[in-house]
Amino acid sequence: MFPKSLFNLNQLTTAAIEEILSRAAYYKKKRKKESFSSLKGKNIVLTFWEPSTRTRVSFEMAIRKLGGNVINYSPEISSEKKGENLKDTVNTLAALGADAVIFRHSSPGFFNLLSQLIDIPFISGGEGCYQHPTQALLDIFTLRDRGVELSQLKVIIVGDILHSRVARSLFYAFPPFSAELTLVAPPVLLPEELVPRGVSRAYHLDEVLPEGDVVYLLRVQRERQGKNLLPSLAEYSALYGINEKRLPLLKKGVLLMHPGPVNVGTEISRGVLDYFEKNCPGSVLFQEQVRNGVFVRMAVLDLFLGGG
Amino acid sequence: MDLLLKGGVLHDPENGWEGPAEVLIRGNKIEAVSLSLGPVDVPFWDLQGKIILPGLVDMHVHLREPGNEGKETIATGCAAAVAGGVTSIACMPNTDPPADNKEIICYIKERAKRADLAKVYPIGAITRGIKGKEIAPMWEMAQEGAKGFSDDGNPVSDSGVMLRAMQYALNLGLPVISHCEDLSLAAGGVVHAGNHGYRLGLPVISPASEAVMVARDLLLQKEIKGKLHLAHLSARESVELLRWAKGAGISVSAEATPHHLLLTEEAVGNFKTEAKMNPPLRTSADREALQRALKEGFIGVIATDHAPHRLQEKEDDFLSAPFGVIGLETAFPLLWTKMVEEGLLTVSELVDRFSSAPARLLDIPAGSLKPGAPADIVVVDPQAEQVVSGERFFSRSRNTPFEGWRLKGYPVMTMVDGDIKMWQGKVKGFSEDFPEIKSILQTRR
Repeated sequence: MFPKSLFNLNQLTTAAIEEILSRAAYYKKKRKKESFSSLKGKNIVLTFWEPSTRTRVSFEMAIRKLGGNVINYSPEISSEKKGENLKDTVNTLAALGADAVIFRHSSPGFFNLLSQLIDIPFISGGEGCYQHPTQALLDIFTLRDRGVELSQLKVIIVGDILHSRVARSLFYAFPPFSAELTLVAPPVLLPEELVPRGVSRAYHLDEVLPEGDVVYLLRVQRERQGKNLLPSLAEYSALYGINEKRLPLLKKGVLLMHPGPVNVGTEISRGVLDYFEKNCPGSVLFQEQVRNGVFVRMAVLDLFLGGG
Repeated sequence: MDLLLKGGVLHDPENGWEGPAEVLIRGNKIEAVSLSLGPVDVPFWDLQGKIILPGLVDMHVHLREPGNEGKETIATGCAAAVAGGVTSIACMPNTDPPADNKEIICYIKERAKRADLAKVYPIGAITRGIKGKEIAPMWEMAQEGAKGFSDDGNPVSDSGVMLRAMQYALNLGLPVISHCEDLSLAAGGVVHAGNHGYRLGLPVISPASEAVMVARDLLLQKEIKGKLHLAHLSARESVELLRWAKGAGISVSAEATPHHLLLTEEAVGNFKTEAKMNPPLRTSADREALQRALKEGFIGVIATDHAPHRLQEKEDDFLSAPFGVIGLETAFPLLWTKMVEEGLLTVSELVDRFSSAPARLLDIPAGSLKPGAPADIVVVDPQAEQVVSGERFFSRSRNTPFEGWRLKGYPVMTMVDGDIKMWQGKVKGFSEDFPEIKSILQTRR
């Protein structure tokens, strides 16, 4: 049911996703102190070639809870010359005696290529603008865990879709459960060809916002924008940020999600966050997403590497 | 050598021949072509079931020498050419140093002469250093045998420089070959701006980045009326512009590559660098527009854009790997199997696009087997079937997106100036078991 490696969600069947979600639920129910042994004796290499706090720590905790050994391998990205990376990495990983590799890299396909050269499983922790499968899985899990019925659920994804690996994984996470996706962004960040079949697209947030059961915010990724795609963050925020003016447009009981890190004042204003904290603290799922990340990653590691 | 080819079917559209023929070769020239030549006192080769064509002309090849001999040399490139039935090639100037002066042009001609396989016609750079700023010494290069000018690999971004280069070339009667790409639009892109590329999260190259430059060049040509040739077109928008140009009376020629004619962005699959080239593979609508344009003649030339890269260079992540695929050894069987056998192109049209038309454009003695023409001939076995395998290539590189394809219509003999350079897949000077030709030919009873 599970492929050897996890690079993207389109390679997973709905049944496989279900299996991951229920395994994650199992781990979440367990008592906090309990530890497991499905990765006992296994050396899992964590190699993150792009900055990451949450995802790396989350994977590290998941490995430890499952009894595996964590080996951190952080290449000096800046000092390495292009073209030599691949060979160096192959040699290093082989020498480390890794049983599996969890990676993050800015160039999509780099680890896909590595996986053809080294015969061990690879689990993506985010790959350039390609996909971030465990993030999308934990997002689905978080909604399910809250008792949200995914079928016919109206999900609005707002933000830098063009550069978002999270969005590209969500494209394959929501449709199997018949949730309805609408993508919202300025045209420059939402080319027509990027929009999958069956998914809607809108340029004006205010027109679709009242429909959203879930509003999923994406960060504007300045570091991925070599070109000047937006005149200013202030202008983006005025058009696409969840601010006080848009509060009345939000559906009653709306759930707000964000893969982090949140730029308060750009995607969402401090005022809105304060409002929700005061009036309906259960609506903002940001922290819960992070917490659930560990359980979902435990499930993924268990099912992909632990022999079920 | 003296040789009679008999029993085969000749396709020579330039000479109006399509059917059974006997072809008599004397020395380095075609002496006679006829249905039956009667008794002739030379060795003969019975070509029952095979077809005879004028040698193929590939006007867009990167030979990499001087400077990048690890990828290809003039000799290995020429071996790849004759293995694929190509007898004349025009090579692009983006070598290291670039062919922007007469010394490099001479060097290339000299090396090609020593290799003694295919005929090599250098293309000189449009601008010094292929930098797009100052026009290179075109006349001097033409004196030494440059057959056209191009900054291929780079566009001439400055329209004023392009205008003056086209004006200057007018005097020489040689074509300016344009690599149409607006760098500000293509900026950093590596795949087509389509569903597949966007889904992979890779930076994209829109069709407009090509078409905008096609339009610019056509408008310049409208004023200058020189010889303008547009290289490796990939987008249907470019084809639409060619259609418009014809209506507007603008004279222009254009080429398409086998990979753009036969593949789409889907070939990139999961970050397969062997399908990374510039311009990128686009959609099926683009592919079909190119196929139709080739049939109708708006695109009059097939050229491979043979671009060798070492395995280690292509074995890199998609963003870092170099652009380009090789094509000399696969082009003909690909086009035979996927276009001629599929009814998308007749044999004569294929010969015109891949031999006669580029020969006319470059004004070189090739493209027809008229009596008196050089004996540059390829014999094809339409039934010869083989699976594409980079390991067997004569090219020094293997970067093909067609690995594993089962193809028919392989060339079985390539002759250049009356001398057999390739026989049954073996290349003279490269294959140890290249046969003594005299021993394999029959003599008259």
